[in-house]
Amino acid sequence: MKKDRMETPPLRKRGQLHITETIAVLFIFFVLVFFGLLFYSKYQKISLAEKQEELLGERAMETTLKTLFLPELGCSKGEAEQEDNCIDLMKLEAAQKTFSEHINDYYFGIFSYANITVQELYPDSARSWTLYDKLKTKTLEDGTVVKDWERKEPTYFVVTLRDESQGRVQYRFGYIVVEVYS
Amino acid sequence: MIFMHKNNNKGQMEMIGLVIIVILITLGMLFFTLLAVKESPEKKIFTRKGLAYSTMSAVMKTTVIPEENCVAGSAVSLELGKDILEDCALNAGSYRRDDPSNCGFGCQYHCRGLHSCAFFNQKIEELLQASLGRWNKRYSFTSQLLIPGSDRSLSLAEIKGRGGCSSSQDKDSSGLFPIQAGDAGLVENVLFLCD
Repeated sequence: MKKDRMETPPLRKRGQLHITETIAVLFIFFVLVFFGLLFYSKYQKISLAEKQEELLGERAMETTLKTLFLPELGCSKGEAEQEDNCIDLMKLEAAQKTFSEHINDYYFGIFSYANITVQELYPDSARSWTLYDKLKTKTLEDGTVVKDWERKEPTYFVVTLRDESQGRVQYRFGYIVVEVYS
Repeated sequence: MIFMHKNNNKGQMEMIGLVIIVILITLGMLFFTLLAVKESPEKKIFTRKGLAYSTMSAVMKTTVIPEENCVAGSAVSLELGKDILEDCALNAGSYRRDDPSNCGFGCQYHCRGLHSCAFFNQKIEELLQASLGRWNKRYSFTSQLLIPGSDRSLSLAEIKGRGGCSSSQDKDSSGLFPIQAGDAGLVENVLFLCD
């Protein structure tokens, strides 16, 4: 009888042991679940930021391509095909006015919130043209206007600037920078 | 005896459970790592290739202004990738890198008082530095004259920005820009762009 008592613990103690064991297992399980959720939420946060950046980059690229192929700017000659990566300076100067007049009713639909600038590098590196400038802003309660974007993505493309103002065709060297906001 | 056997069985079951948990966690981590590593570089490659091509075509098309004094007393505008490069190719034999102003008797143009090849190198370097260099891009521009009737080629220009592109780096080329330089032969120009 005494020997029996030594080998098998009393029923109440065994039950307590089982409960403690179950609690420990459940605790470990929930710790694992917690870490899993933590890891997953961090990963989701990072991948969301990456996706946003990727989308912004894609939009920047699309806007650049749209600008490069705009008939308002491209170097054309009669019915011939437009020259690659070329902006006509005469058209560019005229387009500046057209863009500012129709920025809300037409060009915003094409470029959304962006800034498009053409910069000449050779021969005159001081010349630049801001073609389109639409900043994302918001007005605070006190009436002050502040920026309403977190990120901007600039894309550069080298272009030639065709100048026929002096009676002969001259190609200048420059670049176009397209900045999009999100 | 029965109690010990029961305990043993329970221990084994727990071990199997633990192993399953460890395997599941490892698989989960592996899955996330694979997802995190997977990138989509297509857009980057497209941008780099487009930029290399546009830069090359713009550089070759650029007109050299009369202020560079290519032809004394004349206000002629010359194309960098046509007139200057052709003159460079035709007079490549007289070009000495240590004496860039020496043009022998053959040079048609003396922009900035230099041999056409020296001016070509200088101008391309200036233009690329002002654009790609400013955007912290690594690049490598080469111009080679393929001598007709032989397998030999002569280097006319070799310009590197930020150390150029190493063989191990991801790079994109503008594609070959071949230009026929009169009787001298064919000049192959290429621009490599890497990040």
